[in-house]
Amino acid sequence: MNGRSWRVVVAAGILVVALCLPLGLDPQGYAIRIFTLIFLFAAMAQSWNIVGGLANQMSLGHAAFFGIGAYTSTLLLIRMGISPWLGMAAGALLGGMVAALLSLPTMRLSGHYFALATLAFGEVMRVLANTWASVTGGPGGISVPFGQDSWWMLSFKSTRPHYYLTLGALISVTAVFVAIQRSAFGYRLRAVRENIAAAEVVGVDSARTKILAATISGALIAALGTLYAQLTFFFDPDTVFGIAPISIRVALIAILGGVGVAIGPIIGALVIIPLEEAANFAFSAQAAGLSALVYGLLLVTIIFVEPRGLVALAGLRKRWRSS
Amino acid sequence: MLAFLQAALDGLMIGGVYAVISIGLTLVFGVMGIINFAQAEFLMLGMFVAYFAWAWLGLDPLIAAPAAFVIVGALGLAVQTLLLRRVMRAPPVAQVFLTVSLLIVLQNAALLAFGSSFRSVITPYQSSALRLGPLYLSLPYLAAFAASVASGLALWLFLQRSWFGRAMRATAQDPFAAQLVGINTQAMHRLAFAIGVGLTAFGGAVILPYLTVYPTVGEQFVVLMFTVVVLGGLGSVLGAIAGGFSVGLIQSISGLFLPVQLQNLVLFVVFIAVLSLRPEGLLGARR
Repeated sequence: MNGRSWRVVVAAGILVVALCLPLGLDPQGYAIRIFTLIFLFAAMAQSWNIVGGLANQMSLGHAAFFGIGAYTSTLLLIRMGISPWLGMAAGALLGGMVAALLSLPTMRLSGHYFALATLAFGEVMRVLANTWASVTGGPGGISVPFGQDSWWMLSFKSTRPHYYLTLGALISVTAVFVAIQRSAFGYRLRAVRENIAAAEVVGVDSARTKILAATISGALIAALGTLYAQLTFFFDPDTVFGIAPISIRVALIAILGGVGVAIGPIIGALVIIPLEEAANFAFSAQAAGLSALVYGLLLVTIIFVEPRGLVALAGLRKRWRSS
Repeated sequence: MLAFLQAALDGLMIGGVYAVISIGLTLVFGVMGIINFAQAEFLMLGMFVAYFAWAWLGLDPLIAAPAAFVIVGALGLAVQTLLLRRVMRAPPVAQVFLTVSLLIVLQNAALLAFGSSFRSVITPYQSSALRLGPLYLSLPYLAAFAASVASGLALWLFLQRSWFGRAMRATAQDPFAAQLVGINTQAMHRLAFAIGVGLTAFGGAVILPYLTVYPTVGEQFVVLMFTVVVLGGLGSVLGAIAGGFSVGLIQSISGLFLPVQLQNLVLFVVFIAVLSLRPEGLLGARR
């Protein structure tokens, strides 16, 4: 077997395991919830990866679009009883539009400056959501109404449907990522990333390329915001628009796994989410702060072992890059 | 009109402090080329040093501020030597990853060591104010402002006049050329980081008389500090001073006609606008 078909077999095997796994887990239990969160955050980091990896623009403000998605579908559901599926489409549309608008002033920025501008934009959204209480419910947060178990209304008592939803989301977002990576658009993105002047010379419209990447990325993570809202039933501006809980966490997951490769966010989420949970589980009873301290120390250790991410550590990077 | 003048005066006073806490951040970026997301945590540590100097030794925070500079500066030296030095040549994402992790570690170490309660000091001048005609000048603001201006001047003299200061600026301009003329750029990085976080801690100590300290107090200052340095141009010390005053003024004047929560919103919008229109800062030269 050549390398390509070998990888297809491995991916299919993992998929079968992932599909069968919930059958052996308590549908209301802790383990299935962890897997659900892993898939969700891997998908979020994968949408980040389109801008952060392919365009190499490190966004620290993706919570802005995520929160827009969560609030859009939830508000439509509460105010008008609109299905979260339609709300998700509306949120993705809005998130993509806001991402496109934001990229107009920020696309010329690179490196640290881009990171700072997006960080500030995330804060703008958080402050707005906290202040505009008549719409968002303000700092007190917002509860997602719960009805009967229903796929149309995306509401379930058990975690098992959410497991499959988030798994499906992860596969879809990863498929979008890989499709972009292999398309002409992906090559234009990489050309802009490597050398913008050279890319312009050969006829790549760098502005359009960057705006399109930002729009897709923002729309995808906004759609995931709806899944998050339906999974948690309650959220507030400081969570969904938060720097630490969303923006930085999503970036850390992708960076830890390996930026710009499809497998990176998945590996990153498989490590970071259980790490957080394990630290919580082991230390939260003892003293406030200890679990987060241990988590932070582990992150510091990881970056010293391999500053280019875990994919590089496993030697997978070349194999996945060369595809 | 009077309210406006009063707001402008308060804004200038607060802006002086913003300048000194942000100089540290801009110095670290200017010399080492990395953005330290954990900078505000060193501010928090400086506040705690001043708090305990007051609680245990009865020292005024303004007197304890130099001690905060030394203690937190020493910690910065250790952080640079043990941690940051290793990612100086790594891609920017790794540097961000490390300083963000450092933020998590410092914040939670403080939570673990000091608990989550809000603490404040009591000083004799806390609630007094000077009368300047129809205006009032709050004494804690004035004291913090004076201490900030003094430390900012001291840093400026150090950078302009001393050999170390010149060597540090040379490292910032061209590390390779600096090495060629015999400057130990590694040592300059350590020195810049120690002074940078030390100054921020100093600023934290002098604002303690009118603020409260708790482990997550840094969160209030993160974006604010970035706004200050970006307004003035990342890496420019004089720019950070101008940026500090601008941010102080914007914040305090927008407070006249906007609710408290929206004050920072104005700041963030200005921040994004400046970043996208003049990323080199309002004062910075076009490169």
